[in-house]
Amino acid sequence: MNRPMDRLWVLMTASFVIYALLAIVMGVIPGIVLSATRPTPGISPLSGPAARGRDVYVAEGCSYCHTQQVRPLAQDLVFGRPSTRGDYAYSTPQLLGTERTGPDLTNIGRRQPSAVWNYIHLYEPRSVVSASIMPAYPWLFTLKAHADQGDVTVPVPPGYAPANAVVVARRDAIDLVDYLQSLKQAQLGSAK
Amino acid sequence: MNVAGTQRETREQATLLSAFVVSATLWLLITTAVAVLLSFKFPFPDLATSPYLSFGRLRAIHTNGTFYAFASVALSGLAIYIAARSSGAPIYAKPVAWVSLGLFNVAAILGTITLDLGMSDGSQEYREWLPWVRVILLLAALCSAYVVAGTIARRVERPIYIANWYTLGGFTFTAILWIVALIPTYQIGVGQVSVQAFYMHNAVGMWFTFLALGVTYYALPKLLNRPIYSYSLGVLAFWTNLVFYPIIGSHHYEFSPLPWWLQTLAIVFSVGMLIPVFAGSANLILTARGAWDVVRRSYALPFLAAGIVYYFLGSTQGTFEALRTAQAYWHFTSFTVGHSHATMYGFITLIVFGGVYALLPLATGKQPSPLLTGVHFWFALVGVTLYVIVLSVGGTIQGINWASGNPFISSVEAAAPFWLARALGGSMMFVSHLLFAYNVYVMIGAKQPTLEPQAQPA
Ligand code: HEC
Ligand code: HEM
Repeated sequence: MNRPMDRLWVLMTASFVIYALLAIVMGVIPGIVLSATRPTPGISPLSGPAARGRDVYVAEGCSYCHTQQVRPLAQDLVFGRPSTRGDYAYSTPQLLGTERTGPDLTNIGRRQPSAVWNYIHLYEPRSVVSASIMPAYPWLFTLKAHADQGDVTVPVPPGYAPANAVVVARRDAIDLVDYLQSLKQAQLGSAK
Repeated sequence: MNVAGTQRETREQATLLSAFVVSATLWLLITTAVAVLLSFKFPFPDLATSPYLSFGRLRAIHTNGTFYAFASVALSGLAIYIAARSSGAPIYAKPVAWVSLGLFNVAAILGTITLDLGMSDGSQEYREWLPWVRVILLLAALCSAYVVAGTIARRVERPIYIANWYTLGGFTFTAILWIVALIPTYQIGVGQVSVQAFYMHNAVGMWFTFLALGVTYYALPKLLNRPIYSYSLGVLAFWTNLVFYPIIGSHHYEFSPLPWWLQTLAIVFSVGMLIPVFAGSANLILTARGAWDVVRRSYALPFLAAGIVYYFLGSTQGTFEALRTAQAYWHFTSFTVGHSHATMYGFITLIVFGGVYALLPLATGKQPSPLLTGVHFWFALVGVTLYVIVLSVGGTIQGINWASGNPFISSVEAAAPFWLARALGGSMMFVSHLLFAYNVYVMIGAKQPTLEPQAQPA
């Protein structure tokens, strides 16, 4: 018996070449082609604060519970129109997500335009949605005895508000909410 | 080799394997303690509210840690030991193996700390560690690969044992995969989605599956004291896995804006995956046919047997999950998390346990306690089975809930009892890890009347 694969270098070279080819065909080439996708008309790169807010979104791992992709399925219509490739032209890193423990956020800027609601919700989700299992993010806020001028204060409902202190949004919270408000689907042009 | 040289080699092999196993075990404890906390955050969302203990950060610590600090380290250590044993050769370039272990740990420590500080590489699953941390990880794997290949190159018999095919393949594919995943130029917008689909699936199937099958192909026949049922089936499974697997990544993004044909191709080949899965698991099950009495009396064989069954069940489940009708309901639900643990725990982790119980006593000459090993087995098996079943049911309910157009929060409420049950299953798994850690200690450190460690060559 003298099989070619009994030689170490033959086995390793064969494995290497086959997998490298597959990696190029299935990984690299789709990556190159799709990276060149043209943006959906009407979308623009994020501005300073919203772009920073997106970094907060990544740092806190919001995308492990929230998708940002609307599927062409009936149950997804509540989240907007089906997403297209061009919608993501300015979205790197991509945040499509793979799990919906919480609702899809593709169009949350339209569905929940209130910044105040978002602040309260981030400070303690259960103060606005009692059955929520979303984590609270109190470290995006500070507690102060009195609000100073220019502070963004958060009217946390009684029962959840700290005693003798006001809740003030930090820059991370302000930017994050800016980002959430920027999440609005562009209307697609007629029949294209 | 003379007698003294052989004895020294045997001792050094035992030390090296022990070091890899101890390191992997410590990381298993850390990363699954984190996981238990995560799972209790579902029923108790205000538990441990702190940035450093928050869900979004710890989840990535859990997944990357179990993957690269636990499973990768354990499997690399076993692969090196198996390469030497099956080749009848000493471990080649031992210092490089130690460097590999060191680099794995450096990467794991830095990766864990940076994630906890909120430094994630774009939340891209299973590659959240910052790129420079992943370069260290790549170097760690390359060092192990060098040792494995060098050892096998010095084998006594000409054929390369089938276990080593899988190991060599796993290291080769993974090196390519990790490099492809690091280069940012073709990862913009949807381009990154396609690379991510490719990456997240291949990270599991071209690395852990190959290394775990390598361990099984060595340990199973060795413990049963009979040859593998069919060499050709093993080879068939190797090549079909290599060719089909890289094509199916996009099934993680069905109904996404990725090109429809890419998704369809992924579904077709997901069905094709039944060939390597059936060939592989049938081969292993047939190897063990009629030996249930031996299996029952062994420490390691129950783990290997359960791992093979989970390989078969989990992978077959994956094929059905990939069909569009199923994805329309199950995609995005906790069902997927159940599937991840059926495969990464039921298959990979149980095979790691089995491999350690099979080989560490051979190396050190010290046996674990039969009682504790049995308890470890049942806690791990019942725990993960509970985990998978409740999330499969809970995930299905979530999916049906969405499809019936209820307000979103009703899916959260409907899944809540199942998430609580998952936390209980997960706690059982964690308890089993404590027993495993104690057994590892007994197999390595504890004073006991030792059997003679098996001398070279095996
Ligand atoms: C453990 C999972 C989890 C994580 C992590 C998480 N969320 Fe949520 N999120 C939920 C759930 C569940 C809901 C639905 C209940 C509610 O409204 O609180 C939700 C709701 C929301 C909503 C309201 C959506 C709507 O349609 O009303 C927004 C906005 C939101 N989350 C933003 C975030 C942001 C920003 C982060 C990261 C800082 C985050 N979430 C992290 C689970 C999570
Ligand atoms: C005590 C044992 C374990 C428990 C309690 C546990 C728990 C969890 C939890 C709670 C999540 C997050 C789920 C979510 O976001 O909805 C998770 C995710 C994950 N865990 Fe574990 N885990 C355990 C062991 C392991 C091990 C040993 C591995 C791998 C070897 C592993 C691999 C994964 C993977 C891959 C995911 C991501 C799942 C997905 O996105 O589909 N887990 N685990």
